[in-house]
Amino acid sequence: MPIQINRDIVGKEYPPFAVTVERGRIKDFARAIGDANPFYLDDTVGRASEWGDVIAPPTFAVSFRDESADSGAMLRDLGVDVSRLLHGEQEFELHGQLRPGETYLCRTRIVDIYEKAGRSGPMAFVVREMAVTDRDNHVVVTMRQVTVVRL
Amino acid sequence: MKYGKVYFEDVPVGAEITPLVKAPIRQIQLTRYAGASGDFNPIHQDDEFARAAGMGGVFAHGMLSMGFVAQSLTDWAGAGTVRKLGVRFAGLVRLKDVITCRGRVLSKSSKDDVHLVELEVWAENQKGEKVVTGKATVALPSRG
Repeated sequence: MPIQINRDIVGKEYPPFAVTVERGRIKDFARAIGDANPFYLDDTVGRASEWGDVIAPPTFAVSFRDESADSGAMLRDLGVDVSRLLHGEQEFELHGQLRPGETYLCRTRIVDIYEKAGRSGPMAFVVREMAVTDRDNHVVVTMRQVTVVRL
Repeated sequence: MKYGKVYFEDVPVGAEITPLVKAPIRQIQLTRYAGASGDFNPIHQDDEFARAAGMGGVFAHGMLSMGFVAQSLTDWAGAGTVRKLGVRFAGLVRLKDVITCRGRVLSKSSKDDVHLVELEVWAENQKGEKVVTGKATVALPSRG
C-alpha cells in the first residue's frame, strides 16, 4: 500500500537563514570528496589568487543548513520517512565564489511535487530551490534539488 | 600539469576533458562526506538500515558523485571556472566501486568578453554503467 505525500507544501517558503562560511568547512568538504585542489585547501595559494583567499568547491552550497531549525522539518512537512528518499537530480548555478568568513543568506522553497510510476513502484518528485545571496543582496549561487520519495 | 589552465580557443567542440578516476569508494569516505555535507541519512552509513529500506545495502551520497564530476571539471579547467552544473543520478554507487568522470564539449559561445563552454558530463562505474549524467557550463580565459 503506497504512502500518501502531503502536496500542500508546494509553494512553501522556509524561513531565510544565514550561513557564515568557515575556512575549515571548505577544506573538510573538498577533502571528503578527495579533491586536493590548492585553491580550496592552501591559504597561500588562495591569497595569491584572483579572489584573494581560498574559495569553495562548486557543490559546497549543498552543505548550507539552517542550524537553528530542526533538520527533519521538510520530511515532517512531506509526511515521509528518511529511508524512502533518493536523490534524483541536482543543479547549481554559480554567479560568484563562496568565500571563507563571508555570511550568506539562504532562501529555500518547495517549487513542485509530482508523481510518476518508477521501475520499482510509484514515486513522488519533490523539487526544491535555494537562493544564496551575499551581503549586497547579489545572488551568488542558486541550487535546484529533486528528491525522489519511494511511495 | 594537474591544475592546468585551458584557453577557450584551444577547446574545439567534441573535445573531451581529461578523465578523472577516483579511488574505490570506502565507508570512511561516506562517513566523512556525511560530516562535511551535513547529510547524515543512515542509508549511506548503516548497512542494516539500508537493507531494511529495501536498498540492498549502503550506497554513496549522490552529492559525492556530483562532487567528483565537479572535480573533473575544475581539474581540467581550473578552480572557479564552473558556472553551471546540473545532473541526474542515474544509478547507485556502491562500496568498492571505482568512479570515472568524463566530459565532452557540446558548444561554445562568447559574449561581452565572457567565454563559455557547454559540456556533456557523466560519471561511470567500473562496469561502464553511467551513475551520473548531466551538463555543465564553464567560463574559460581567452588568448584574446
